[in-house]
Amino acid sequence: MNRSINTVIVAFLGAACLCLGYSCTKVDNYAGPNSSFQGNLIDSVTGKNMLTETGGYQMQLKELSWSDNPTPYYIPSKPDGTFEDTRIFGGHYSVLPTQGAFWPVDSVVMDIKGNTTKTFTVVPYLEITNFTHVAAGDSLVMQFQISAPRTAGLPTIIDAWPFVNNTPFVGSTAYIQPYTISAGGNPNKNTVDINSSWNAGIGATTYEIRVRGLLPGRTYYARVGVRLNDSYKKFDYSDVITVPVATK
Amino acid sequence: MKKISYISLFLVVLIAASCRKLDVAPLNIIKDADIFSNENGVKAYLASIYGTLPIEDFIYQPNHGFMKNDGGRWQCFYHPGSLDGELVGPYGSTDEAATGFGFWPYDNIRTVNYLLQTLPKYASAFTPDQVHQWMGEAYFCRAYFYFALVKRYGGIPIVRTLQNYPQQSIKELQVPRDKEEDVYNFIGSDLDSAYMLLPETNLRGTASKYVAAAYKSRAMLYAGTIAKYGSGNLVTGDALTKGFVGIPAADAGKFFQAAYDAAKLVEGHYSLYEKNMANKEQNYADAFLDNSSPENIFVKDYSLTSGTAHSWDATLTCRYMTADGLSRCYPTLDLVERFGGPLPVVNNDGTPRRFTDRADLLQGLEPRLLATVYFPGATLRGLNFDIQRGIFKTFTGSAAQELSNNNNTPNEAGGNLLMADKPTVLYNGRNIMGFAGVSTGGDDYTRTGFYVRKYVDYKKAQSACGLYQSTQSYIDMRYAEVLLNRAEAAMELGGATQADAIASINQLRDRAGATPATASLTVDSVRNERCKELAFEHQYWWDLRRWRIADQALDNTKFYGLLPYYVDTEGKYIFLKQVEPFQRSYNFQKKYYYEPIPGGELGKNPNLFPNNPGY
Repeated sequence: MNRSINTVIVAFLGAACLCLGYSCTKVDNYAGPNSSFQGNLIDSVTGKNMLTETGGYQMQLKELSWSDNPTPYYIPSKPDGTFEDTRIFGGHYSVLPTQGAFWPVDSVVMDIKGNTTKTFTVVPYLEITNFTHVAAGDSLVMQFQISAPRTAGLPTIIDAWPFVNNTPFVGSTAYIQPYTISAGGNPNKNTVDINSSWNAGIGATTYEIRVRGLLPGRTYYARVGVRLNDSYKKFDYSDVITVPVATK
Repeated sequence: MKKISYISLFLVVLIAASCRKLDVAPLNIIKDADIFSNENGVKAYLASIYGTLPIEDFIYQPNHGFMKNDGGRWQCFYHPGSLDGELVGPYGSTDEAATGFGFWPYDNIRTVNYLLQTLPKYASAFTPDQVHQWMGEAYFCRAYFYFALVKRYGGIPIVRTLQNYPQQSIKELQVPRDKEEDVYNFIGSDLDSAYMLLPETNLRGTASKYVAAAYKSRAMLYAGTIAKYGSGNLVTGDALTKGFVGIPAADAGKFFQAAYDAAKLVEGHYSLYEKNMANKEQNYADAFLDNSSPENIFVKDYSLTSGTAHSWDATLTCRYMTADGLSRCYPTLDLVERFGGPLPVVNNDGTPRRFTDRADLLQGLEPRLLATVYFPGATLRGLNFDIQRGIFKTFTGSAAQELSNNNNTPNEAGGNLLMADKPTVLYNGRNIMGFAGVSTGGDDYTRTGFYVRKYVDYKKAQSACGLYQSTQSYIDMRYAEVLLNRAEAAMELGGATQADAIASINQLRDRAGATPATASLTVDSVRNERCKELAFEHQYWWDLRRWRIADQALDNTKFYGLLPYYVDTEGKYIFLKQVEPFQRSYNFQKKYYYEPIPGGELGKNPNLFPNNPGY
């Protein structure tokens, strides 16, 4: 065999190997997660969206069309009580609102395809009622009552907290800590301990929380939240109020 | 023709010769007989198992694991104590580490099972005592692995024989979860086997009879409290209803009895370190640094030459006193107050007590406390723990108003309070912050006014206190813990055993220089004793979980420090109890009582479902 044929054969073999190697790849032509799932959680007592915060509840999705034992996927709530995820794989799902301050509900089996919307209604553990406030100088006094839509089997009520922030997004994950002091033994404690299962006395009490030290010229947003000793210890909230503080 | 016939004859011979099977074992692969037929082989095999034991030592990090050969293992401040309130440290929140690091050591468990299955086949090469010892050590190690698994996940698959693939089908190999209680029973029975088989003494760092008994007292106590303090505090879910997490309350007594009995077996074989009872503070500090301590039951050693040295000295004390590295975790005042209540820093009228010398605070404090925590005014390597948060030009009013540390009190207004980020910043010729803290610049100086003292090697020269230069041994089990396990089990059993608990606690208190316990001892005081005695020893995180109080103890909780200030117009010091300057909150969600089963394992083995609740 002479040299030029050798080089041709080598080149040909080399090219063949390259082509074979290239054909060993697979193009990923699976569909991407291009469905979206959104909705809201209605408070059965008020008929409006549940008063909550970012991550105040989770929408749990289990993709039954993928596996018999799917790993749960969670969509966190938004501050206005809605949830939305625009990157969901289309399929057959078991959907459950969970990890929030409401009575457990049953999961719903449904298809998610394209733009899917779903509204759920839940019964909160507690409602904050008769919520009033007085802002004077550097202090804010909030008063409220608590009612329980269902009392049988209600978990123990732990305490009530004030939350103050300088944006409308205020809750247990967004608050200015010095206004909420909960540290035990601290004389400046602002939270109210309840530590009791439901009784008529709790329903009859008007609770008062006083926050001091608001800075002049600022606008604050505040609310109160009450939490119970269930698995998740999330808060049931009041509305958010706007508190402008006069400049000195 | 002749040529062809010769060639074909030649070929036939060759073919006939090749019909013999080449059944010679490969010489470059180690076979069972190489290891298990001789003493050195078995010892080497066991040594490799000991090397992988999940010991939570100086370099263990709760969110990264056992850090073997990991370049980040110098950061001893990523300590579980920085999650549970013993320390404030580099973790921004409990969430950063509460779900663990996906620990799943079934490969190491297989290595142990392999020895348990194979060594008996070669028993004729050894004396019965040798075989018993090695089998006992293997049972101990297997129990150690399963205990590390069950305290994280609850019920996991119990694999006690070798699995073989492809001889067994995938379906057969997808072993389901066992109940949490069954895993604890399995650990108990492995430790019983170890106890029966092991000799009374063995080499340093290996298992022997009473080592097994000591660990049994720990594991059974955990199971007892998990049963007694129940699952009422856990997240509801399938795993709870099926018994994969939680143990029935009716079985608590049986576990407490097993813990108590196991602890009693250890009595007389180990004793508390009391070589220098004339100076109880020095004695207690030395107990953690003296390799010959009779209290050490199971230790892990480190050396420079083997490349296993750790960095405790370089990272638990401020850089001012070390060769390199930096510190980032500091004892809380909450821990310090366990020892004798609030420190004497407040007068009867509520004003802060004035001190001429910061070291005056140390007078009358419990020797064990002073040996566990470095206070302002203490000394190390000839240097003073010069800790000062700032200078008040003047100070009036009560200590209580300063508690929340929000820079909004009259004493802090109008430039009356000076703070600094470096010790070189002066006011009237005096440094505003101390050379050992507290800085406004970062967390490489104390945030609480304290530094860890336990395990710090005070004899080391400053130049030798650098990264990867510390060699003090880690004591994973010491006799003090056995006494605490015994006392807690005794109190939980109630009745006549309470007197035994008082005796155990008083041995610890006598050595510590603390006031003795009386008949009014309660379960809470035994728990508090455990927190004091085992501070920073990787225990409290697990204790909070098994007592089911973690979600209340760490409930958006902030921790306190004791911050020294100099009052300029008075020329005196005051100590203020204040929330530590970073004001971090620590919050333990109920689902964290159990870690999630690693997702990769769930993918391989759907029989591991249900996952732990809340995940």
